[in-house]
Amino acid sequence: MADSTLTERRSRASGGPRAQGGTRRRRPDWVGYLPYLLPGAIAFIVVIGYPLVTNVYFSLFKWRGGMAPLRWNGLGNYADLMGDDKFWTSFGNSLAMIVAMVLVPTLLGLVLAAVLFDYLGRRFGAQVSSVLRATYYLPQILPVAVAGVLWNWILNSQTGALNEILRGMGIASPPNWLGDPTTALPSVMLVLIWVQMGYPVVIFMAALQRVDPELYEAAELDGAGWWDRFRAITVPQIRPETFVVTLTCTVAALKVFGPIYVLTRGGPESSTLVPSYYSYLSFFDKSQVGYGSAIATVLTLVIVVVAVIILGLQNRAERREREGI
Amino acid sequence: MKHKRTMTAVAAAMAGALALTGCTGQSGGGGDTDDSTLTIWHYENEDSAMGKAWAEAIKIFEEENPDVTVDVEKQTFEQIQKNAKIVLTGDDVPDVMEFNKGNATAGQLAAQGLLTPLTDAATERGWDEKLTGSLATTATYDEQGRMGSGEWYGVPNYGEFVGVYYNKDMFAEHGLEVPTNLDELEDVLAAFKKEGITPLAEAGAEYPLGQLWYELVLAYGDRALVDDYQLFANDVDFHNDAMTKATEKLDEWIEKGYIASDSAALTAEDMGVSFIDGTYPLMVSGSWWFGRLATEVEADWGQFNFPGNTLHTGSSGNLWVVPANADSPSLAEEFIDITLRPEVQNVLAAEGGLPVAGDASVIEDERTRELTENFQAILDADGLAFYPDWPVAGYYDVIVSELQSLVNRSKTPDEVLDGLQSSYDEGKADLLDG
Repeated sequence: MADSTLTERRSRASGGPRAQGGTRRRRPDWVGYLPYLLPGAIAFIVVIGYPLVTNVYFSLFKWRGGMAPLRWNGLGNYADLMGDDKFWTSFGNSLAMIVAMVLVPTLLGLVLAAVLFDYLGRRFGAQVSSVLRATYYLPQILPVAVAGVLWNWILNSQTGALNEILRGMGIASPPNWLGDPTTALPSVMLVLIWVQMGYPVVIFMAALQRVDPELYEAAELDGAGWWDRFRAITVPQIRPETFVVTLTCTVAALKVFGPIYVLTRGGPESSTLVPSYYSYLSFFDKSQVGYGSAIATVLTLVIVVVAVIILGLQNRAERREREGI
Repeated sequence: MKHKRTMTAVAAAMAGALALTGCTGQSGGGGDTDDSTLTIWHYENEDSAMGKAWAEAIKIFEEENPDVTVDVEKQTFEQIQKNAKIVLTGDDVPDVMEFNKGNATAGQLAAQGLLTPLTDAATERGWDEKLTGSLATTATYDEQGRMGSGEWYGVPNYGEFVGVYYNKDMFAEHGLEVPTNLDELEDVLAAFKKEGITPLAEAGAEYPLGQLWYELVLAYGDRALVDDYQLFANDVDFHNDAMTKATEKLDEWIEKGYIASDSAALTAEDMGVSFIDGTYPLMVSGSWWFGRLATEVEADWGQFNFPGNTLHTGSSGNLWVVPANADSPSLAEEFIDITLRPEVQNVLAAEGGLPVAGDASVIEDERTRELTENFQAILDADGLAFYPDWPVAGYYDVIVSELQSLVNRSKTPDEVLDGLQSSYDEGKADLLDG
């Protein structure tokens, strides 16, 4: 950059018309805006770029952390990962997290938003539907630590509200929700659905307001029922929002940490382990900094790949829509 | 010019980012570079035994060093535990701080070169005579961070141990006596079970179940096994007599319903609360519960050592350590020395804080004296056998997970021992590998 400044100055000094033309060619309009990118670029380098590079660097070493010596391990940590059952379990559980945080909330959210907007909103007025929308969104506002404590109270095997009710109904040994490896993951998934549900509902309801009501009226006149209108108008009209929800929720599901930390800490018997928590365990509890970094690197890669795929699908869908018109 | 300035800004930002993690290759130990302030980090409540004793120590230090300002910064256990290895590499470190003892904690910091060796101070000031045997084990670490040999890196003020808390009212109601050996304990458990009462308060999601398992290992094992398991004197075969018997015994207790079958996901807090409210008559857990029980249990209660054992789960308490980058290490040593004086140790004793060099006879409260005498008895027999999760980093989660599968009946004792063995061997290889 310093080099080009010098050239510029020299050319200005020479003052020839050819040189001036050259300067203009080398400085298109957008150059003037570059300084405004700097704060963002610096923040990106400090908060994302530098830690990312450092993380990848650490993942190539065996290191206890602190001032302990770094010992070169090449791709050894990654090779170990491939043979680590817990690593695979954690990624298997990521699929369950995607079901609980993306699939179910998006599908249910779509139906709920349509029902709230289309049916309840029209029947009982906009206020009823916005009160209900706010209720669905409430778990999103609660700090995850608070929600976790709350659900621990509900699901506690001995003193939890749920099991007290079940025992009251005459069930002698109700399920040990968070303590039994067969029920722990489904219990965590249910909590996550509860947490996640409000987000798509709110986004989809906003999207529905954008849809031209004449489309519905026309369809109604043609004798289309609620389900037909939902399928033929609602779903295709709000496709862009569906992509946004899917993308953000999938990323959130892959890197989920808080709910696992407060609910089960990856237990019982590692049945609810997820990659980010496993990375944390290795990094901090076991002081295997290199190994923890390797898990984090793989997780980052997976997230980037998944995000690129979803964005690609979105682009293709948009292109097809444009071509369709 | 504009370009140049931006380049400088970018360079400055990069340099700043590098400085955040840059190597600060300062050597600790030497003389004080700052002799006017002593910065102390600890995480004990002001009204706990430790909090009160240390307030006393700070008072004495201030009287003896009127020119020195003492700056106490309260931290939380989690904060220090998780961040120490990052924070201590910087320059903004305390002169003396409380830290958890053991291979996986203080040992790690020592191995990472983050702590100042205190061996010279220990011999000069006589700490090595006050703290001997299993108390000194947790104060010394070798260059790989293994306790029991090498340099002094920390100094404990107090101790802790796992015993049995019992509800005297419930014992009296069923005409039961305090057991004096394992068979008698089993008779008591069976008697309660027969009356429809699950006898043992337990928690599978946290430390309590692992400590009960270790008490049983110690019931069948000896000091040689402890040295092998904790200090790596020899390889440990987890299918040895003591560990097999202990795991099978625990399995039998779960099978017979002495431990609730739905306790796999319960926390230590759940366990404590259910003992406090009288749901369970017995709780095998540590001396750290004492203060809480003293204020919250309404029934009459008491404490006895795990019946029949000469070795007990327990150790010195947390350590005073001096970070390598501390700027007044000799003031720190002076402060540590004060905490071991009788004035301070007796404050610990009176508050039920189990002093390492205190006098039980000065204690007025009966339960506190009973607890302190029980601890002194263990110390006299050099019976502290440390904690089951200590040998290798990250073993805590392994023990929790394996014993959960015992409670959930998803693994046999044999499979549990296999699981414990493989993680232990892996962690040990990792540790010895440096």
